[in-house]
Amino acid sequence: MPETVVETKTEIQLVTPWNVVVHNDPVNLMSYVTMVFQKVFGYSRDRATRHMLEVHHLGRSIVWSGEREQAELYVQQLHGYLLQATLEKAEGC
Amino acid sequence: MLIRKWKQKAFEFSRIERIEAELLKRVPLCCEFDENSAVSSRIFPDPAAPIEREFIEDWNELVRPELRRLFLSAKQIVESDLDALKTKLGRLSRFLVPLDHGEPWLNTLNQARLVLATRFEFTEAELSAFDLPRTFSEREVVLHQINFYAAIQERLIEILLETSDGRNRSDAE
Repeated sequence: MPETVVETKTEIQLVTPWNVVVHNDPVNLMSYVTMVFQKVFGYSRDRATRHMLEVHHLGRSIVWSGEREQAELYVQQLHGYLLQATLEKAEGC
Repeated sequence: MLIRKWKQKAFEFSRIERIEAELLKRVPLCCEFDENSAVSSRIFPDPAAPIEREFIEDWNELVRPELRRLFLSAKQIVESDLDALKTKLGRLSRFLVPLDHGEPWLNTLNQARLVLATRFEFTEAELSAFDLPRTFSEREVVLHQINFYAAIQERLIEILLETSDGRNRSDAE
């Protein structure tokens, strides 16, 4: 009986990650921004505070990275809270 | 003015003096702006860099009307809560806001502060300073108005956080 050789080829497609970036805004209160990060992303108060401080001191913070569709939804939610948020392709992709 | 939690179901605004009542009543009015102004660009900022032209166009067509509806609905809730605020001469006012109106209130106060701050072009330094005014221009008064709304936001957030912490604790028990 002839031997059958089955060749399989695995392809891994890497999804380009997208960043959700929040920009500094002197009007939004620090406590408000922290609360919004907790609500939108489900972050702990510590993690939310870290991102808020990054926004405050560095002018921006990447608050989430992942698939584009989800990133768009997060940006929409953040705009609903009147935060200045943008969608950016992750660097090096 | 005092703001505190009332019977686990509302924010109680009490001992409201006339000037504070006036400022509260102005909150919805302060949210209004011209669609083609700098204020509009701040309330509805672009969601990405200009290179994402197609995404921004889709956003303006589909998401922006949703956001407009959200902001309007929050403002209407605040307006209707403020209907209960009636001042009588020589008497301090009091009114209640249901706890689940906390988010619409925070949103509307934010709209008002953003509109005022953008319209009067306040800098970050001005907004974070608590100096006494050197002049008594309209601009100085508006800065105090913005800070008054910020103080209300801070207090509402404190109460909301206490409430959610309390809820989390009792869930864990």
